Amino acid sequence: MTWVRTKLELERMGAGEALEVRCRPGEALENVPRSARAAGHRVSVQGTTIRIVRRA
Amino acid sequence: MSDNSRRGFFRELASVVNSAKDATEPTPSVPLPGDLTDAEIERYSRQLVLPEWGAAAQLALAEASVLVIGAGALGGPVSLYLAGAGVGRMGIVDDDAVELSNLHRQPLHFTPDVGVPKAESAAAKLRFLNPDALIEPYQVRVEAANAPALVEGQSLVVDCSDSFATRYAVNAACCAARVPLVEAGVLGMSGMVMSIKPGRTACYRCAFPAAPTDAPSCADAGVLGPAAGVIGSLQAMEALKLLTGVAPAITGAFLQVDLATAELLRVRVSRRADCPDCSAL
Repeated sequence: MTWVRTKLELERMGAGEALEVRCRPGEALENVPRSARAAGHRVSVQGTTIRIVRRA
Repeated sequence: MSDNSRRGFFRELASVVNSAKDATEPTPSVPLPGDLTDAEIERYSRQLVLPEWGAAAQLALAEASVLVIGAGALGGPVSLYLAGAGVGRMGIVDDDAVELSNLHRQPLHFTPDVGVPKAESAAAKLRFLNPDALIEPYQVRVEAANAPALVEGQSLVVDCSDSFATRYAVNAACCAARVPLVEAGVLGMSGMVMSIKPGRTACYRCAFPAAPTDAPSCADAGVLGPAAGVIGSLQAMEALKLLTGVAPAITGAFLQVDLATAELLRVRVSRRADCPDCSAL
């Protein structure tokens, strides 16, 4: 569900804006970066914080 | 629903950072017409996650009013999928009562429903499926005289009737009111589906100017349940595409489906200059 909520939030943002998602260790920490990259966004992960820069 | 409850998850879990250094030329956010509740996000999560789908498509469905004509073999899967997908308001029109011979192909009706008006039986199941959807049963037969009033104000009509007279009446009413329409028919192990944007694409009468004189009914020729399920599912898919715009609908053509050979044939149809239903649009 974390990726769904992240995707909805990204829809509201402009290209180049960044979203930080803090996850507990677990499945979402693996799924969210993978799904975000697959959707074409730039992704970096530091610890439990995922930073996603919205694609154009 | 307050903003707090709508966006509580992100208040705790995430923060939006306007990052000028990441954006060579930042573009403004596109405002959405509203927010989805937490329950809506969970209920519709498997479609919201689709790349083609999103909050805008979901909210378009929530605001839509769809008339489903017929609560039988096609109307069952159509109304199930549309209610499940989140169509906000749906009218279900059928003047028949459930018969034992319906049950092999009409998934909204169960054995204890025999004798119950189909519109009521369908509405009861659909309300269980999605309590957020407003379901309005109409126990009437659609005819040329009442079709315009039923169609008026709808976002979309899905014709799941089993009568050529009804199809022509619905097509004429939808054309006159410029309400998009999804037509379909099923018999034996085959069927067809066609989407219509009145005034812009060929209508049902453009494709079929006159009813066949010797067309058998399901009672005469038979029909397999899964064939009706496939055609009804295609109709529901067309309805979702027309309501949200997430993919192009089958317009200017009809899709012929042969389930016996598993073959699909897309037949192009042009608007007719002499069509009595849509040529004046």
